Amino acid sequence: MFGKGLITGMRVTLKHFFGKKETFCYPEEKLPMPERFRGGHLVIDYKKCIACQLCSMACPNQAIELKVVTDAQRKRHLTSYIHHMGRCMFCDLCIENCAIHGLHWDQNYEISAYTRDAFDYEVLTDDDRQYLKEVMEAAAANPAPPIVPKKPAAPKPAEAPKPEPKKPEENKETEVKPNE
Amino acid sequence: MENLTVGAAAEWIRSVILLILGNELLTDVVMKFVGLGACIGVILTAAIVLTYAERKVCAFMQVRLGPNRVGGRFGLLQPIADMLKLMSKEDIIPDGCDRIVWALSPMLLFVPSALIYGLFPFDEGVVFADVNVGVFLLLAISSQSVLPFLMGGYASNSKYAFIGGMRTVAQMLSYEAPMVFSLLGVVMITGSMRMTDIVAAQAENVWFVLLQPIAFIIFIISATAETNRTPFDLVEDESEIVAGPFAEYSGMRWALFFLAEYANLLSISILTTTFFLGGWHGPFLPGVFWFWMKVLFMVFVFMWFRWTFPRTRIDQMLSFSWKVLLPLALVNMMFTGIGVYVWRSMM
Repeated sequence: MFGKGLITGMRVTLKHFFGKKETFCYPEEKLPMPERFRGGHLVIDYKKCIACQLCSMACPNQAIELKVVTDAQRKRHLTSYIHHMGRCMFCDLCIENCAIHGLHWDQNYEISAYTRDAFDYEVLTDDDRQYLKEVMEAAAANPAPPIVPKKPAAPKPAEAPKPEPKKPEENKETEVKPNE
Repeated sequence: MENLTVGAAAEWIRSVILLILGNELLTDVVMKFVGLGACIGVILTAAIVLTYAERKVCAFMQVRLGPNRVGGRFGLLQPIADMLKLMSKEDIIPDGCDRIVWALSPMLLFVPSALIYGLFPFDEGVVFADVNVGVFLLLAISSQSVLPFLMGGYASNSKYAFIGGMRTVAQMLSYEAPMVFSLLGVVMITGSMRMTDIVAAQAENVWFVLLQPIAFIIFIISATAETNRTPFDLVEDESEIVAGPFAEYSGMRWALFFLAEYANLLSISILTTTFFLGGWHGPFLPGVFWFWMKVLFMVFVFMWFRWTFPRTRIDQMLSFSWKVLLPLALVNMMFTGIGVYVWRSMM
């Protein structure tokens, strides 16, 4: 029939007229990001973190700068976790390499800034620092016994002598700098 | 309910003016100006409401939200903002244009658009000039809007504007003919060219959309073409000739073109309502409510057309008018004549 296409078109537009609209009023409404969206700031589960520095080492651009401290119980903790977002290419390798699966993106896409310095983002929060302080104090109150190197009961000729483990220096910050 | 009609409102205004002036003749003169003011008020309100409505309808059909920032969640103040923007814009006069003709064009275009509002029956007895050749006068006046388009197009000294102006003439002349012949069917059944008689004839029997369905379709199509709306917006199509005759206008001059466009949109909706949808007649509610409900529905239909159909090519448009619509209108007129003759001889 002549004009059938016109009727079909009008039906489609009428359906859209009463249908749901796709627009998001952006600053008021935020677009929900998919689960695997890579972007925004890093978020770390600080209580789980073992300060293994695998994330920093995995980073191809050396965008993660860590400062690690060892407490009296010979456990390592992060004192600073700086994410240089200007260098980051959001490749997700740090997250894939995390030994405890405690690292993820906050999926916030509003991360533009006016200065380069603003891109050096400190991941640790005040809560994390408070937790660090508590853990350090608790560890200091109950320090681990110093490591005494075991003496071999009977000398075994085949075995090479073990190198003596160093006694950890308490509360000394070791800085892991990215290779420049 | 009786007090809600426009006629009652006019009577009340008249009594107030009579009380102030104390002279019958002077009151009649003043009442004429009140009527004029009401017609102009309708046009200006229409321009404000319809720009907003068009943007919303367009957005909704394109799965968007449309204006939603100025004036609350629904962007109700958007037309005001647009108006302020247009008024504060620079008035650019193109180099080498024919100054007088160029400046006259937007004003002259608005005249026929506004003038035909005097002939519309808005409600029982609410018509500024109930002329006995209403339909004829209406078509004569509305066809005058061809010339200002051509004037604007010619005087702008721009190729796009000139092509647009030429197209306007071709399009409006082509679609004038089927429109007139489709209306002749209505006039033949009514036996009168008076607008109020046409509405009254529909109140006695049925709406003419049922008696004259082909004429209704022809009228809708040619009315869309007459107002230069998609799918026949070849006069001002953005993708080919920038904005046609309006291409060189800015600010308030351009706004006048826009005002005329929306006045035309409203007037073809009013004409469709008057000729085919029974005018102000309807059960329960006062006439003026029925009238505006039907008119706004027709406005929605024309907007619906605009945001659904793609634009036709110029040769398609002209051949459609001369080869399809005009013969169809003539055949329809012939059969209506036979039908009316048979009906009258049977009575």
